[in-house]
Amino acid sequence: MTDTLSMPRPKNAAPWVNLGGRVRLASWVASIAPSAIFVAAWLGLQLDFMAALLTIFLPIQLAFGAWAGFYSYGRKGVNDGLLVVVTIFFSTFVLVLLGSVLWSVISEGAAALSPHFIYQNNRYITGTTGLELGGAGHAILGSIIITGITTLITVPLGVATAVYLTETRDGARGIVRTLLQALAGLPSVVAGLFIYSMLIVSGWSSQVGLMASLALIPLMLPTISRVAEESLRLVPTELRNGALALGAPSYKAFFMVTLPAAKTGIVTAILLGVARIIGETAPLILTAVIANETNVNPTAGGMATLPTYIYNFLYLGDATSLQRAWGAALVLLIFVGILFVGARIASATRVGTKPKRRKK
Amino acid sequence: MSNLNHLETKDINVWFGERHVLRDVSLQFQNNHVTALIGPSGCGKSTFIRTLNRMHELIPSAGLSGQVLLNGQDIYAEAVDPVNVRIEIGMVFQKPNPFPTMTIQENILSGLKLSGRKIDNAEELVHTSLTRASMWNEVKDRLTEPALSLSGGQQQRLCIARSLAMNPNVLLMDEPCSALDPGSTRRIEETILELKENMTIVIVTHNMQQAQRVADSTAFFLAENGNPGEVVEFDTTENVFIRPKDERTNEYVNGRFG
Repeated sequence: MTDTLSMPRPKNAAPWVNLGGRVRLASWVASIAPSAIFVAAWLGLQLDFMAALLTIFLPIQLAFGAWAGFYSYGRKGVNDGLLVVVTIFFSTFVLVLLGSVLWSVISEGAAALSPHFIYQNNRYITGTTGLELGGAGHAILGSIIITGITTLITVPLGVATAVYLTETRDGARGIVRTLLQALAGLPSVVAGLFIYSMLIVSGWSSQVGLMASLALIPLMLPTISRVAEESLRLVPTELRNGALALGAPSYKAFFMVTLPAAKTGIVTAILLGVARIIGETAPLILTAVIANETNVNPTAGGMATLPTYIYNFLYLGDATSLQRAWGAALVLLIFVGILFVGARIASATRVGTKPKRRKK
Repeated sequence: MSNLNHLETKDINVWFGERHVLRDVSLQFQNNHVTALIGPSGCGKSTFIRTLNRMHELIPSAGLSGQVLLNGQDIYAEAVDPVNVRIEIGMVFQKPNPFPTMTIQENILSGLKLSGRKIDNAEELVHTSLTRASMWNEVKDRLTEPALSLSGGQQQRLCIARSLAMNPNVLLMDEPCSALDPGSTRRIEETILELKENMTIVIVTHNMQQAQRVADSTAFFLAENGNPGEVVEFDTTENVFIRPKDERTNEYVNGRFG
């Protein structure tokens, strides 16, 4: 039987790509028709976009997907078609959500962004002061200091926990792992309240940057130890045994062989941990207050951070205040973006943790 | 005769949890001899070889009774530090395991660093170790390249060289050629024959021809019907392969089971 519908096969098409005419026709129809019906219904009937998307577009698209599968491959193609529609629809949905968050932060925040927004502080700035004055410099510094202190304390703790979980056979590991998971679900305001009530209300300390750093530790710890645990677990047992068989004491085998092999994963763990806490607001309001002036001393006076800066100006609510809040949100987003790119680079540059054979 | 028995085991029994996997293994490994351990999968050969340098105890639930005597001293005696045992008795594993974050040279020196010994003449040591593992000429110009840039066979010989740098008296090899091509296998067998001039070698192998090519003595392990593994026959390689006393050995070496 000759296939009269098929087009000449492109030279670069992989052999398993089905270019049969029926399949092509069905996928074109199933791609265009539901969208056309949806646009017509949405504009023609003046329906709400989201309601129309879910009640008109999705069912029609599912029906067309199922039809396209049936038309191309028969009965067994129906589920194929449905699954294609569901996966594409929902992944696009999530991507659009993410994209719109990014877009609104960038478009709204760009107006407030200027050189002095990065280095000036908030002294003498009220909710209605024009954008040509004032900035989030004090908050950027505060975020770096508070996050930095937390990182310095939490990284050894988190990595040590991961080492305990992977390198020992202690009976309490299960409990520790469960507690870590519970800690990962700890609401951040509870962590803040804990420090507030235990160390601040009791009079042991005033509201200073250091207290904020302490409040962030339980939030950062589970992220670091779980990611570090995964990366240590990926180091092959053969490497560890190789080191031990050469007469290494356990600690040396760990520091000279296991840890270097897991290095990239641990760097990723640290960066993810920082990204986890850099946006926290509630514990910071409780422990470091909302400061307006530059303060680089974590043991005296309140300290501003980007999240509390955003919170503060959202609370004031004037037009320029909102713009400042968006601007600070954009700065925060850029911060986190840099961290994630850093994590990607750090985990890509080094030889993998598994012995791969590379030929020169 | 007894001073030739560099390494010997007396009534080694091994358990994993409740499971008894080796029963009463008593073998003598002579100096300047290669001893091959053969037998079907699951008969306890690898488990046994790991008891010889106390790598066995790293497995959770591992249990053991009996003695392993190195020059007459029990390596499982209470005062003995397993770290020192592993310095005396080197081991090469089934899968090549060079340290991926180190260069070729660093891999050779890693044993000394890991066991906390001083390195007097690093260059000389790298040279002799690689020469003894017969790979100096291949890698002499790329000592500072990552160890993973080597081929699988070269990686395995690098692991042998890494063990040799510790100057062990005994070298244990757990199926060192099972992941390698015939060419690399042949190179390693040649290396083994050169090395035995100076040390005791124990090798686990699934390859009958390999046992015949390299080993002076051969021990045949067998675990029947869920019983713990035992040594069925231990004799010179020639006797085990050509004049086996036990019918089961005869069947195994002639490929009729296992």
